[in-house]
Amino acid sequence: MISNSTPSAPLPRLDVEGVSVAYANGHLALHDTSFQLQGGTICALVGVNGSGKSTLFKSIMGFVKPEAGNVMINGLPIRDVLKQHLVAYVPQAEEVDWQFPVSVWDVAMMGRYGSMNFLRIPRAQDKAKVEESLRRVSMWEFKDRQIGELSGGQKKRVFLARALAQEARVILLDEPFTGVDVKTEEAIIALLRDLRSEGCIILVSTHNLGSVPEFCDQVVLINRTVLAYGPTSEVFTEQNLAAAFGGVLRQFHFEQSTIQEHDGRKIRILTDDERPLIFGKDGHLEYKDRGEHEELLKKRSEEHD
Amino acid sequence: MTEWFDFLVTPFHYDYMLRAIWVSAWIGGVCGLLSAFVTLKGWSLMGDALSHAVVPGVALAYILGLPFALGAFVAGLLAAGTMAFIKAKTRIREDATIGIVFTAYFALGLLLISLFPARVDLKVILLGNVLGISDPDIRQVLIISLITMVVLALKWKDLMLFCFDPGQARAIGLPAGGLQVVLLALLSAMAVAALQAVGACLVVAMLVTPGATAYLLTDRFGKMLWLSAIIGVVTSLAGAYASYFFNGATGGCIVTLQTLVFLAAFLFAPKHGMIASRRRIRCAATPSQS
Repeated sequence: MISNSTPSAPLPRLDVEGVSVAYANGHLALHDTSFQLQGGTICALVGVNGSGKSTLFKSIMGFVKPEAGNVMINGLPIRDVLKQHLVAYVPQAEEVDWQFPVSVWDVAMMGRYGSMNFLRIPRAQDKAKVEESLRRVSMWEFKDRQIGELSGGQKKRVFLARALAQEARVILLDEPFTGVDVKTEEAIIALLRDLRSEGCIILVSTHNLGSVPEFCDQVVLINRTVLAYGPTSEVFTEQNLAAAFGGVLRQFHFEQSTIQEHDGRKIRILTDDERPLIFGKDGHLEYKDRGEHEELLKKRSEEHD
Repeated sequence: MTEWFDFLVTPFHYDYMLRAIWVSAWIGGVCGLLSAFVTLKGWSLMGDALSHAVVPGVALAYILGLPFALGAFVAGLLAAGTMAFIKAKTRIREDATIGIVFTAYFALGLLLISLFPARVDLKVILLGNVLGISDPDIRQVLIISLITMVVLALKWKDLMLFCFDPGQARAIGLPAGGLQVVLLALLSAMAVAALQAVGACLVVAMLVTPGATAYLLTDRFGKMLWLSAIIGVVTSLAGAYASYFFNGATGGCIVTLQTLVFLAAFLFAPKHGMIASRRRIRCAATPSQS
């Protein structure tokens, strides 16, 4: 891997301190919102529609100015950080004009504009970075396609490539798995894990609860303010989720389990679209790839000691 | 044969025709460039609004003896500012806001003109008069369009990014608000220039049709940019030339030509034309022979 993966790159730090944002009609979209994130994490931003997820994203990107509090990255105000193009945003599919006459290559190159000269003429290193980024999301062979001629998953990967080309250290993804096939979802999760090990802060807004334990090591649970934040296993409890979602979630209780010791305690759940969130005995979270996850948590706790 | 040739070159024997032809071509080209941004940003209605909103500025400038471009430019930016202000402060939708503001400015312009009928000619403002354009007016048009062209040549990639994804523009530290003001300023500036060629009523065609036509012909922004510029130049040049034989109505000739080119693209564009998409649907509907 090239320069961006060098472990010597300083780990980014995101501080959201007492942020309050008001709508034009005077209602508060966010109230006294605070949390901190250190580099090397995938953090889920979870809440119902209208809980202030996108407002929080906009304040982290500096698009809305908070009435109170502030957002700092690496101890600097957001305005200065944007000039260093350290923050990337992967938009939802609905936010993009897919008929715009640009190719996959053009979109990825837009990640480089910040580090280019006044006329935005790409140098060899910009082209190399764009190629590397497109290859990394397996979109290189589509580089001359107009963006509207891609599938949902491919569209998402193009914008991920743009974030990679930008060499951002803080990456915000808005509902990255909507309209994406399962295979792409897994590829995106693998990529996000790589970025985590390169020290990036990945903040993923999602209402897709089931996928959260699988790839997010931290969770910020919001409903107009932060209800809870911290490691997934601590925050993702039935109690917290009930507080965040109220009556919105559909619940299935299996009062008497048929799972026996001799079944190897395995359970298979099929679902049509979203991943179900499964609590085992005593409220333990169930998810795939538990081994890798626990290894990471162990490593991190050793680092802190 | 020679008779026909003589007939066809007669417009070139007249100084005012030659001037009208090259001034129109120049304005058409720069408007064409700008139209690529206008159509993609969805500002067509805004272009129409600005071209009417500059009228009081033009009238006031003529009455006071100032350069018309200055008055028009100030009026255009004021109108854009008024629209942005009303949109931000009320619950009224954008199209209604544009409708209210541009008619208000236009009405003010008509009022001014009727109060000082000797200083300005309503017909010239509404329909343009490139055949009788004065030297100072040519100079102003040239300066305006030269500035526009330089700005577009230097900053077209930033403006493209702003049109495509203003969020990304901000995220990499580009001044998105500044880019919006630049694009609006260029739009009002070129609305003024095009006013001279085709008049306030038809300005919007110069600022939209070439871009819309080029959009049907290509999937790459760079190509769209020079295609719309070429369409602008050729239609304006040919339109001004043809207007000699139709005895006036330069604006009508230019815009009619632009519409014809648009119709041709609408029908025959290789990928996004109507015939091509019909054929694709037919191909998809009939089962393959293999």
